[in-house]
Amino acid sequence: MVHDVLLALAGALLQTIGLLAAAPLLRGAIKKMKATMQLRKGPPLLQGYYDLAKLFRKETVRSETASWVYVLGPRIYFGAAVAATTLVPVLVATSPLEGAGGILGLVGILALGRFALAIAALDTGSPFGGMGSSREMTIAALAEPALMLGLFTAALAAGSLDLGAVVRGGLVPGALFRPSDILALSGLFVVLIAETGRIPVDNPATHLELTMIHEAMLLEYAGPDLALVEWASALKELLYITLLIDLFIPLGIATAIAATPLAVAVAAWVAKVFVFAVVITLVETTNAKLRLFRVPELVAVSLGLGFIALAIRFL
Amino acid sequence: MTPNVVILCAAGMLVSAYLMVGQKSLFTTIRLYGLQSLLLATVAVAMAISDARPHLFVMATMTTLLKGVAIPLFLMRVVDRIGIHREIEPFLNVPASLLACLGLTVVGYRVSTGFPEGTVGVTHHVLGIGLSTLMIGLFLMVTRKKAISQVLALLTVENAIFLIALGITSGMPLVVELGIFFDVILAVLVLGILVRRIVDRFESMDVSRLSKLKG
Repeated sequence: MVHDVLLALAGALLQTIGLLAAAPLLRGAIKKMKATMQLRKGPPLLQGYYDLAKLFRKETVRSETASWVYVLGPRIYFGAAVAATTLVPVLVATSPLEGAGGILGLVGILALGRFALAIAALDTGSPFGGMGSSREMTIAALAEPALMLGLFTAALAAGSLDLGAVVRGGLVPGALFRPSDILALSGLFVVLIAETGRIPVDNPATHLELTMIHEAMLLEYAGPDLALVEWASALKELLYITLLIDLFIPLGIATAIAATPLAVAVAAWVAKVFVFAVVITLVETTNAKLRLFRVPELVAVSLGLGFIALAIRFL
Repeated sequence: MTPNVVILCAAGMLVSAYLMVGQKSLFTTIRLYGLQSLLLATVAVAMAISDARPHLFVMATMTTLLKGVAIPLFLMRVVDRIGIHREIEPFLNVPASLLACLGLTVVGYRVSTGFPEGTVGVTHHVLGIGLSTLMIGLFLMVTRKKAISQVLALLTVENAIFLIALGITSGMPLVVELGIFFDVILAVLVLGILVRRIVDRFESMDVSRLSKLKG
């Protein structure tokens, strides 16, 4: 019993550290691929780590009007992203802290982080922060139900709200593919794009405040505070990709803790994340950013796809 | 393996139909139609392999070449030539259309269970998707103002009928399918000319202007 608990904690710790370490690399890889496709050289692959190291060494500068909400925002955001990683299976077909919560817990924790950041951006009274919060929440209000519908579709197949059980359900040999899976995957992919601030929805590389969504909330932050938010955003991106992998293409994930299955699982996970990174890069380079008022329409499509995925499970 | 490919591609067709409803750029809609045709060809290939129906290979090749490549290119050229405003202006706004299409999909899936073949397995899904795509296509046809987007809706309906035919029949005779292809080509050509005529006359592709008197 004690042994199990210790194992789960060790697993959670290792998985979180691993994901935290890998997250900036994913962003760097997407940036590099995007630059290559646009015939630019682009920043080095490890630029994300350099940036984080630089920001963490800087002193903290905060606005005079900022209160404790502003200070707490990035910390809750980071904490929520880290907590969410412990609920998602990455290499082993069970989430490290499976008893702690399933799909609803995951969505709730992510929502808590977003809420903390949005309210922190409002705190200083800077107009751009407030604008960013309002935009982020407008999109989140549609993206969150879409995320839940997509997750429920997968959970319905497994008959459990536990992500570990969903992954194990997907590993059953001869499991027939269903149309609802594709619909849910398409819906969740749009959610992934919207939640991570990728191009048709938001431009992660923008310097123009008026077009910003996610970035506008971070304008006031500097130094370690900014580093925390950036790191957590990168982690969230990796987390969403891992979630899609878990739900729809779990093949290769380890079912036992031994050297060979784990090595296979690592290779499979890296390969699948890379494929997703390539797809995201393609979407980013071939699409123009949508006008802000068009974004809810796109996210509404994903909501519709999620709904229909769930509905045709019953028909 | 093959049932998975069939379902994957058929569901992809439904997704592309939804994307057609959900966005407004004319060029993207044309590309989505091309993608949908390629997915349809993949379904045909998968079925040809699994059920040993070699003449479906011919259909798949023709679908790829004609509907996947030639027709989208032709339509893009028409749009380019007449240099119209490249946004679709629907009668209904996007969220309302999406809601309507959700309802249509549910109806399509429900109706598909009434077919004798449609109660189980892959056929159920192919039929459901086919009927849903068919109704989404009809819906697009009545809610879009631009002549080109109505042509695209008609072609979507044709794709959906092809998918349904693949799903429930053991393959139509080659002659019939060739005839259908010929019809599609002619329809696109004639409609392409018609669109240009409409644009010449009304300086717009908006077909709602056709019902107004012109002195």
